[in-house]
Amino acid sequence: MKKVKVATVWLDGCSGCHMSLLDMDAAIISLGRKIDIVYGPLVDAQEFPEDVDVTLVEGAVSSQDDLNKIQKIRQRTHVLISLGDCAVTGNVPAMRNSIPVNKLLQRIYVDGADERKLVPTDRVPVLLKQARPLREFVKVDFCVPGCPPPAKTILGLITDLLEGRKPDANQPVKFG
Amino acid sequence: MAQKKLSIRIDGQLISAEEGQTILQAAKANGKYIPTLCALDGLTPVGACRVCLVEVSGVDRLFPACTTPIQDGMSVTTNSPRLTRYRRISVELLLIERNHVCAVCVSNGHCELQSMATAFGINTVEFAYNYPKLSLDTSHPRFVLDHNRCILCTRCVRVCAELEGAHVWDLTSRGIHARIVSEMNEKWGQATSCTSCGKCVQACPTGALAEKGWAVEEMVKNLGTVTTLVHRRGVEV
Amino acid sequence: MPRIQDIGAFNTVREAGLAKLTPAVPRLTVGMGTCGRGNGAEGIYHAFSEGIERSGTDIVLAPVGCFGACFQEPLVSVRLPGKPLVILRKVQANDAGRILEDVVAGNLSPDLIYCKIEAWDHLTGHVRYGEGYPEVPAWNEVPFFKSQKKIVLRNCGIINPDDIEEYIAIGGYQALYKVLIDGRPETVIEQVKAAKLRGRGGAGYLTGNKWEFLAKAKAEPKYIICNADEGDPGAYMNRNEIESDPHSLIEGMIIGAYVMGAAEGIVYVRAEYPLAVHRLNRAIEQAREYGMLGENILGRGFKFDIALVEGAGAFVCGEETALIASLEGEAGRPRPRPPFPAQKGLWGKPTNINNVETWYNIAPIVMRGAAWFTETGSPKSSGTKVFSLVGKVKNTGLVEMPLGTSLKTFIYDIGEGATAGRQVKAVQTGGPSGGCIPHDMFDTPVDYENLAQLGSIMGSGGMVVMDEDNCMVDVARYFIEFTHSESCGKCIPCRVGLNKCLRILNRVTEGAGTTHHLELLDELSRYIRDCSLCGLGQTAPNPVLTTLRHFRNEFEDHILARRCTAGVCEELALSPCENSCPLHMNIPRFLQLYKEGRLEDAFLSVILDNPLPSSTGRVCQHPCDGRCRRQTLDQSVNMREVHRFIADSIFQSDKYEAMVQAVLARKLEPTGRKIAVVGAGPAGLTAAFYLALLGHDVTVYDSQSEAGGMLRFALPEYRLPKSILRREIELIERMGVRFTLNTRVGTDVPLNDLDDRFDSIFLSIGTWKESWVYQPGTELKGVYPALNFLEAVAAGQDVSIGRRVAIIGGGNAAIDSARTALRKGAEAIVFYRRERKDMPAIEEETNAAKEEGARFVFLAAPHRVMGDAKGCVRAIEIVKTRLGAYDASGRKKPISTDEIQRFDCDSVIFAVGETVDLDFARASGLSLKENGTIEVNRFTLETSRPKFYAGGDLVTGASNVSGAMGYGKQAARNIDRHLMEAERWARLFPDVEYGQTLPEEPSPSRRHTGQELAAAVRVLSQDEVVTGLSHEAAQDEACRCLRCDVKAVNVS
Repeated sequence: MKKVKVATVWLDGCSGCHMSLLDMDAAIISLGRKIDIVYGPLVDAQEFPEDVDVTLVEGAVSSQDDLNKIQKIRQRTHVLISLGDCAVTGNVPAMRNSIPVNKLLQRIYVDGADERKLVPTDRVPVLLKQARPLREFVKVDFCVPGCPPPAKTILGLITDLLEGRKPDANQPVKFG
Repeated sequence: MAQKKLSIRIDGQLISAEEGQTILQAAKANGKYIPTLCALDGLTPVGACRVCLVEVSGVDRLFPACTTPIQDGMSVTTNSPRLTRYRRISVELLLIERNHVCAVCVSNGHCELQSMATAFGINTVEFAYNYPKLSLDTSHPRFVLDHNRCILCTRCVRVCAELEGAHVWDLTSRGIHARIVSEMNEKWGQATSCTSCGKCVQACPTGALAEKGWAVEEMVKNLGTVTTLVHRRGVEV
Repeated sequence: MPRIQDIGAFNTVREAGLAKLTPAVPRLTVGMGTCGRGNGAEGIYHAFSEGIERSGTDIVLAPVGCFGACFQEPLVSVRLPGKPLVILRKVQANDAGRILEDVVAGNLSPDLIYCKIEAWDHLTGHVRYGEGYPEVPAWNEVPFFKSQKKIVLRNCGIINPDDIEEYIAIGGYQALYKVLIDGRPETVIEQVKAAKLRGRGGAGYLTGNKWEFLAKAKAEPKYIICNADEGDPGAYMNRNEIESDPHSLIEGMIIGAYVMGAAEGIVYVRAEYPLAVHRLNRAIEQAREYGMLGENILGRGFKFDIALVEGAGAFVCGEETALIASLEGEAGRPRPRPPFPAQKGLWGKPTNINNVETWYNIAPIVMRGAAWFTETGSPKSSGTKVFSLVGKVKNTGLVEMPLGTSLKTFIYDIGEGATAGRQVKAVQTGGPSGGCIPHDMFDTPVDYENLAQLGSIMGSGGMVVMDEDNCMVDVARYFIEFTHSESCGKCIPCRVGLNKCLRILNRVTEGAGTTHHLELLDELSRYIRDCSLCGLGQTAPNPVLTTLRHFRNEFEDHILARRCTAGVCEELALSPCENSCPLHMNIPRFLQLYKEGRLEDAFLSVILDNPLPSSTGRVCQHPCDGRCRRQTLDQSVNMREVHRFIADSIFQSDKYEAMVQAVLARKLEPTGRKIAVVGAGPAGLTAAFYLALLGHDVTVYDSQSEAGGMLRFALPEYRLPKSILRREIELIERMGVRFTLNTRVGTDVPLNDLDDRFDSIFLSIGTWKESWVYQPGTELKGVYPALNFLEAVAAGQDVSIGRRVAIIGGGNAAIDSARTALRKGAEAIVFYRRERKDMPAIEEETNAAKEEGARFVFLAAPHRVMGDAKGCVRAIEIVKTRLGAYDASGRKKPISTDEIQRFDCDSVIFAVGETVDLDFARASGLSLKENGTIEVNRFTLETSRPKFYAGGDLVTGASNVSGAMGYGKQAARNIDRHLMEAERWARLFPDVEYGQTLPEEPSPSRRHTGQELAAAVRVLSQDEVVTGLSHEAAQDEACRCLRCDVKAVNVS
């Protein structure tokens, strides 16, 4: 049987959702027989491949870089999943949203720094005015809230998709 | 004095209820669940959150179960696709109105808004988030008011005025700018009428009013105290 | 003054009042409502009072309220003993001396006279002023008042509101006296019920039933409240009623209090109405003094008093439960109902609340009876309602009409339609929470049920008329902004829902909307309507729901085409001129470039926006003129003539070759895609130009021997010399466009053939068929369709038209035919069935025709053409028309009369409009609309058949050159996007730097127009009539631009 191509993406988040993904104990072994992880922090691929079946996205869209990435990913993915509160609601990354970006950078890199008081401009992605959920930029097929979502929920969703079922809408979900 | 008995139907089931009861009271007394947010047993109902809206046969408009008195022969429907859709929108709008960052909230896991979202199966909202800039009042020695989590249910206003008799809390401004204020917009810590009884904190459905010293998930409210007090003191509302 | 305790005393006061109202000396009154004062009434009053004092003449001077005709303010009325009351309009303070002299001399200056009143029915009484002035129209003969019926406003503008004696003189307080003497409250309630009077605050609940509830309520005390918290933008009827006639309110309330058993009444009035508050306070004091309020009213043992409470201006306090909360000293937030105020109202006691206007109907119902009241209005809604008719109509003001009157009557008969050059698009009824009703539903009768059916409400009676300058998305946004900021914040739907609605609408007006937003708006609006706690939230979404329902097109324009046709949404338009141009030319840019002396850059800007700039510079309908903001200073900038000048300066000079190369340099790399354009008219040529520029291989088919379409074959040489057009087509040929002429697609080349050979096909064959009116005699020799006539002349054929030519029609083709006939040495008479101002022809053209000697007969339609024995035209008979009701075009519809007139003539040219050649359309196999035009997606111009696009007259029906070219441009962009799967359009246009500073002072120069040959000379030849601007004039004209496109203003 052809393996299903799965990618994971880490935008503005804490990697907790990825940890939760790995937290499914022995189930990960049987899952590994059915899927290929083709892109993401867990593997080495440099370029997001074409024609990915399922992509799990952790984190809010916070920088221009995130935005470019997610738009490209959307074009190359059949099923896009917002994984965790940051991707679904903005969550913690969005707590900066009422502060103007220049003030924020000033506070962190200048006022808050002990040395080299300078706002970095080189090789650092330009921040968007606000960090916002995925759904406000691209079409999202499923949302799994939680901070992080429980491993069981993630496994349930992936299993449903692998077996060609529409993910169970009545599965308990919880923000936070 | 014995109340007159009325018969009404709730979701088709014939129920005998007392005259003067609201739809919500009659439903509760008969084990029927109607979701509520602003209502709290023992406080004057205000009909603000609109999640307890129900359908009444023969009338087009919807009625808040918490404030509508029953009438003999009334037939109430507590659930329908329309009610479900509308209740869901109400909860979604509350989620986007302010900054409900459950992950870092003291009430995470013990929040009525959060559990209602779960109960309604809300895994994302249709509308764009507002992310307003809101303040925190930490001036009180024991308690904290976080406007980011407030849903303006006014339980605090009512419990303070009706039960404690202090009337520390009120609403200021209009529309989307409406806020809970203590006294005449003083800092809570400077509110001399506040007896620090903590009833408002216990009545608050979210993490907007909390005790100091608790970390994320640690603030567990005891709503029962409010109801118990009402009955113990025989307060008639 | 002792309190009136018996009928004798009452009658004495009445006589005294009557003596003031109709004195034996002249009486002068000035309309001193807030509206009159705003227009300078106080100055006029002082001028009169000083003048009278100085001259020592015996003239009674008094202030009155407002008579309702706001557009004629300030109003003054004059009454000489025994003569009618004459109303003077637009009186200024410096007219005072002249008016006083006239009064003394016993005659009146005709220029100020508006209308007269010989006798007035106050319903509670009757006043005869006298007869005379046969030349002056009676008040109910002028259009504004003609269909009005004054019940509520029965006393407004006639009596002095500060004088209770005048009120008693016209029968005031008689109804109260009657009720107190009868002593049977239940009969009054029955009467109000039988009259079917409904609450005038908006909800329309039956007043009689409401009264009965309170009368039957057991608890004491009971309260009655008058809701005068009128807060709708644009509505001011309650203010005017109180300012003009406060005692009618007081009388209504005393009667209500008596029959409902209340001892205390409260008037809750906006603090922003200081004059109303002042006059009402004074009236209450006088009523107490005269024994109408307080203990033992009119000696009948009834006790009642009224307190006045000023509201702080929250809109939501108009909602009755919020109003009660406000009266109790709480914040004005509504409470859930039930319990209703009649059960638990003010201070928890039974309370009745009625709107100001409801109370005004009470005394007339008591005096004249329920049967009389139900004679007026519709079966379910009796009586009248006062509306404030405002917005884009000629006549604005307070209008009292029987319920059930159609919207048409309001807007066209009373308002007399839109202001000059505009068309009414919609009307918004019911204030900020009402709905917008589109023009094609103006037959709707205005009553509670019918308005509700259209998603609107009666509300308190606001009626805001909108024309094509109003953007309906912005209208919805504006009203939601209002209700959102007035939401009390108590319930979620209204507090958060309206805020979200506003945010979404803001996105749409900024051009950042999506179609998903429309679904969200719809769902959110229904939710807010169904779930909100009080009337504010429940009705607030009406403007959104109705505009989504009736004006969805405009939402789609904003979202899909990023266009705001009305030019209101700033982010979506560069400037008003650009927005109105079908080609969306960047007009301010070429004006600025030319102003900077950069002719070549200006030309490149023009030609890349509009491939036929010399032609359109001569014949465009120039919608930009009507939108130019310079009009508010003096006259619009002559943009068309400037771009003609710029284009001519290149096309007719040695710079041509260099500019051709500059245009060619813009061509994108060849794509290898082949595109057919069918029809070499303006739409086809434009599409071909852009498609070639985009790198495609373009072939244009046309059945004629030369390209140009209507420009070549319908427009006369004297308007557009053929050599000019040829130069432009030459450029298009040099772009690589191939022309296959003398080839009719559909017959010579089948459509399927094109489908096989090309990647895309654009159909733009225009409207080459004259709409034919079959009338007796049209078969005679010498009867021509205008297009055939013009085409034959343009092709150089000899057409014999004889000595006298009759032309039927009022469009450009009619004028072209007339002027062409004149050039052939004939006499031309143009017959048009409407009036001059209704002619669709370009105004300058009509003027020019007139100068050249064409005669015009208006209000004349063809009846029959008469011939001689040889079958040649000998004469035409026309039937005179008169104008009837307004039709869908916003013009009055001509109706034939019995009057027939005969004109001798040798030929008749019918120029009554062109239509699509149906044979082609049907044969094409494409989906058609009812009128025979081809159905397309209005954004992409795709037809029902893949690969086939259509545009121009073929899609719209006969229109005009620039309109057709706009379609060509739009088609090219969409065809390219579809073929290349990319948005390449922006690559065609170079970035040009040009001045972005606003002129510090507007240029003082007046509008320049092109030089014209003298009429006597030009009519002898086909030479071009308008020779264009001089270099200096063009430069001057460019400097006149106010640069509306520069948005960021540096404030230093």
